[in-house]
Amino acid sequence: MSIYLPIAEMSVNIWILFGMGAAVGFLSGMFGVGGGFLMTPLLIFYNIPPAVAVATEANQIVASSFSGALAHLRKGTVDIKLGLMLLVGGIIGSTLGVYIFSELREIGQLDLIISLLYVVFLGAIGTLMTVESLRAIQKSRQNGGAAPKRRPGHSGWIHKLPLKVKFRKSKLVLSAIPIIALGMLVGILAAIMGVGGGFIMVPAMIYLLRVPTNVVIGTSLFQIIFVTAFTTIIQSTTNQTVDIVLAFILMVGGVIGAQLGAAAGHKLKGEQLRALLGLLVLAVCVRLGYDLVVTPSDLFSVITAAEAGGH
Amino acid sequence: MIRILSILFMMFVTLAVTASSYAAEKLQMGVSVDVVPIGSDFSGRDIVIFGAIEDADQPALFRGEYKVIIEVIGDLEEAIVRKKERIGGIWVNAAARKYEDVPSYYSVLSGSQINDIADPSLLSEKGIGVQFLKARPADRSNIAEFLTQGEFSTALRRKRIENGLFAEKPEALQHISPSLFRATLPLPPNVPIGVHTVRAHLFLDGRRLDEVTKTFEVRKVGFERWIYDLAHEQSFLYGILAVLLAIFTGWSANVIFRKN
Repeated sequence: MSIYLPIAEMSVNIWILFGMGAAVGFLSGMFGVGGGFLMTPLLIFYNIPPAVAVATEANQIVASSFSGALAHLRKGTVDIKLGLMLLVGGIIGSTLGVYIFSELREIGQLDLIISLLYVVFLGAIGTLMTVESLRAIQKSRQNGGAAPKRRPGHSGWIHKLPLKVKFRKSKLVLSAIPIIALGMLVGILAAIMGVGGGFIMVPAMIYLLRVPTNVVIGTSLFQIIFVTAFTTIIQSTTNQTVDIVLAFILMVGGVIGAQLGAAAGHKLKGEQLRALLGLLVLAVCVRLGYDLVVTPSDLFSVITAAEAGGH
Repeated sequence: MIRILSILFMMFVTLAVTASSYAAEKLQMGVSVDVVPIGSDFSGRDIVIFGAIEDADQPALFRGEYKVIIEVIGDLEEAIVRKKERIGGIWVNAAARKYEDVPSYYSVLSGSQINDIADPSLLSEKGIGVQFLKARPADRSNIAEFLTQGEFSTALRRKRIENGLFAEKPEALQHISPSLFRATLPLPPNVPIGVHTVRAHLFLDGRRLDEVTKTFEVRKVGFERWIYDLAHEQSFLYGILAVLLAIFTGWSANVIFRKN
């Protein structure tokens, strides 16, 4: 069954999109990640214009992060004060990101920068995750017991910065500077890459800010709702590239897939999950990197002025 | 004497009218629709163009010597062609050319190859045919300035042909009777919105005798139109709506699946 997307201005198969949403939702439910970093490249592979894919994906993540954050709020695993402070940086970053997005689109380098950012970030995070989890699996085999508790890395300089704020929920006293900077970085990425940024936010909170692991995911999801909601509105007003019909199909597929994925995730061990996710992230990275390096089948591309965003 | 003169004059006028009627053929044309609506289930549509050749030279007409070429031309817009180059090992959009007044859609319907109907120099002069788009007459556009036969304009034509937005269909037009013709235009699923001009040209022995122009509009209707208009005219409201929809969907999922 085909459906016409009013903003992407193309006719697509509704079941393929629904399936894509469900498949990515399944993985994100299983691994506890947002899935934007998988969905956006998939949409681009499916010939959705990158500008529409990125902006629409921000809209979809509002739904998935809201659904996830509600569960964490109920369990009380959200540090709202920390979330709000990350959000301040996120809003600034997202505004900057959408501006950079429009500029890149006008000079025709948006697709390239999106791909490059994906290759760099997915490559780095995928490698770290795979190496770390493989080590953990090895150790747990040697010990013949449970995996050892992960030790946070050294980040002494971050704790020497001024403007200290007390976070009761996380039992932390932290400078506001690295928190706002992290929020900003993730906000920029959310706007340019069409992701929630959980895959950067979560490790950064654990290893750099030393936030207790039990509040990390809830807090990250909590602030992602607002950053992606803000990004959706800014993309709508600046670039008019949010396709609400496309977003809705992906949202429905995504939330259903996430429930099934979460159930499947309970059957796997934490380090096995992380190893699998690490490999998956590396696979997407290699696929995108390959497209950048291999000689394209067609060197030319044609766009209309409206698609270039130059009005 | 005056009577004789006036009779001679009348004869002369009649002769003149008869003689000139050889070149007074007229084309009449109609299009099956005024509006092509694009709704959620739009996946392309055939439209029918029909017409008649009037005041034709009867022997030539019955020998099938009159030929018709129909052009369908979408809105004129700017198009940017970009070429990738390898820089530092990766492929980057490097050189670009901008073309103005490129039709968003262009289709040529005829009963045989257009090069067999008229001389390429005439087609080129009138800008008829995908390869001759550069030579669109000045009143219509200034494509001539921009669409040279370089690698960029060749790429522009090739990409548009691949997308189904430029097409030549040399078997799309049939003659139902010596003077009546009809042509089927299969609009692709990605047909651009806007007013499309249908222009028919009448040829005899390679000479262009007449042309006639009609239009039809491709436009979004119903829900699709509402969404598109809202996104472009009330973009802030649209953004808020998109966020509310997402929150509602996320909340529903949470409520539905919590019970399980």
